[in-house]
Amino acid sequence: MDADVEVLAALPRLGPLFAKALAPSFQRGAARVPRRTVRVCGVHQDPAVVADYDRVCGFPLRDRVPPTWLHVLTFGLHVHLLSGSDSTIRLAGAVHVSNRMRLHRPVDAGEVLDLSVRVDNLRPHRRGALLDMVGEVRVADELVWDGVSTYLAPGASTSGTPEASTADEFVAQPPTAIWRLGADLGRDYRRVSTDPNPIHTSRVAARAFGFARPIIHGMWTHARLLAALDPRLPGAYSAQVSFLRPILLPATVGAWWRPAHDGWRAAVTTPDGAKPYLVAAVSPI
Amino acid sequence: MSLPRSAVVVGGNRTPFAKAGGAYAAASNLDLLTSALDGLVARFGLAGRELDEVAAGAVLKHARDFNLTREAVLSSALAPTTPAVDLQQACGTGLEAVVYIANKIALGQAEVGIGGGVDSASDAPIAVSEGLRRALLAANRAKTLPQRLRALSRIRPSQLAPVAPQVVEPRTGLSMGEHQARTTATWSISREAQDELAAASHHNLAAAWSSGFFDDLVTPYLGVTTDTILRADTSVEKLATLRPVFGDSMTAGNSTALTDGAAVVLLAAPDWAQRNGLPALARVVDAQVAAVDHPGGDDLLLAPAHAVATLLARNGMALSDFELYELHEAFASTVLATLAAWESAAFCSERLGLSAPLGPIDHDRLNITGSSLAAGHPFAATGARIVATAAKLLHERGGRARGLVSVCAAGGQGVVAILEAV
Repeated sequence: MDADVEVLAALPRLGPLFAKALAPSFQRGAARVPRRTVRVCGVHQDPAVVADYDRVCGFPLRDRVPPTWLHVLTFGLHVHLLSGSDSTIRLAGAVHVSNRMRLHRPVDAGEVLDLSVRVDNLRPHRRGALLDMVGEVRVADELVWDGVSTYLAPGASTSGTPEASTADEFVAQPPTAIWRLGADLGRDYRRVSTDPNPIHTSRVAARAFGFARPIIHGMWTHARLLAALDPRLPGAYSAQVSFLRPILLPATVGAWWRPAHDGWRAAVTTPDGAKPYLVAAVSPI
Repeated sequence: MSLPRSAVVVGGNRTPFAKAGGAYAAASNLDLLTSALDGLVARFGLAGRELDEVAAGAVLKHARDFNLTREAVLSSALAPTTPAVDLQQACGTGLEAVVYIANKIALGQAEVGIGGGVDSASDAPIAVSEGLRRALLAANRAKTLPQRLRALSRIRPSQLAPVAPQVVEPRTGLSMGEHQARTTATWSISREAQDELAAASHHNLAAAWSSGFFDDLVTPYLGVTTDTILRADTSVEKLATLRPVFGDSMTAGNSTALTDGAAVVLLAAPDWAQRNGLPALARVVDAQVAAVDHPGGDDLLLAPAHAVATLLARNGMALSDFELYELHEAFASTVLATLAAWESAAFCSERLGLSAPLGPIDHDRLNITGSSLAAGHPFAATGARIVATAAKLLHERGGRARGLVSVCAAGGQGVVAILEAV
């Protein structure tokens, strides 16, 4: 086996890991990230958790799972990679700024999955450093899903010139739907995503990170938007989202989606449609 | 009956039926109905197609599901411009929804539509007690804090317990099983006869599954591939060991179990089916509903016996004219009491106004691929399960073979229909 592959026997438990991930890294100098790929093989999906996930995110309960669920399965490996001693960047404190995923074919809740994640593309940003967590889900040897989660590590330094930021084009428009997000939503999503980051559930923790109230996970918002489009999406598609502002809970937000030449454009916005929280492009592949 | 034209059954689809609290415990009526629709859409290549109407319903229904069928259409792969309607006639729902769509097609108001039903006994709504509900509504109407507190002060601890839905008759407080126990006694239906019918239902359904009969009628859901209540290895001897739960002869083995599932049927005008390269299995000839005097003493579940008499007279048919009889097995004794009623000179003359009994039927033509005792009975889905099964069986026979479909329902109602092979 490749020396740069770390194989775990099972998906890591996030609670203890996250405590490590929360502890700040005191190492100075240039940011370092692991070069390993971390992999877990033979992962069985728990149908009860999939059902709970579908319910919390607004998906119908089907045999095939949402692509955002496959991201959730790989998320533990993000935390694992960024909590090791070979990483000066910690996931807690990093900001999930954008995400791209490709579902190559419908994936059934009964399928046994091989998951892998690696860190890629550490690069400078005017506020720190950007890095990509690149995940893959395979069934036997077939690639069924891949995803790139881009995080910003504020204050981290790495050599090079920051790339010019490409602001997503956003045109204010009246929302198609109004969603009411309850104060408990962060707790509900924590249960199904096992992401224990307390900024989503605790006012105190949220304050510590500069938010007046807990914020909902960006990946919930992403999933909720895909759920709204679900009946119109084909069996294989890509979804690219940018997380532009946090949503503080409880919240009332707007959402819209409209056909585009290559699929769909969609956004989650303020209720008046003026400011975006998240913008998305979804395309068949 | 002469109608401008007849609707034909193109085919059907259902989820495997699962015992309540089992594999579908997390699935809502909306999930189940969406899944059944999507399976039908996949089978007949209807993705993105706008149909003229979808009619379906559920018996155990959440208040939030006021537009259940329309919501299921919107969650499905059908075009979002497909209209939908919720219908409910207790256990007659699925068959009544099929008749509704078939009638619209016959009248030229629709070319193609779907009828069906769904029920989840696992995800049943739980309500608050009547006292609590009234107090909360009063508090909601209150304009001042003291008024609100006064309204809330009327709540008593005993009213805080949630109220689960019950399958009881509102006018008698008796469960369906308790009512049927009276019918069982009235018609002297023996324990042995009930267990024989139940065993036959399991054996027939098991044989149909193993022959692949359901391959184009069922789409697996949530990892379930066959009906989970089915016991292929049951026998009259095993069933005889069960303790009676209603009366002295009705057991869990010869009564239907609480079940989760959904079933739908695709109906079309014959030329629509032809234009779209789709099959026509059977045409919907005619249908009839009836109700008995409830709670005036009539047998609660024997309304189909009345409906069939009307249906036969209107179509100039005798009871023996059918190649197939699909009688919903609410309880084994419901089927047996219905058959006994048709053979009874007294019942047929006094209750149906006939000069002669409708007569016996050939038992080899009854529920030949099993029925609700073995498949289970998600209340509103059963009618659509039976129509799809009967249409396929009739088509296999060909030669304009006719089938009788009969479903009894709460409140002393029944809905019956005649299908004819195409």
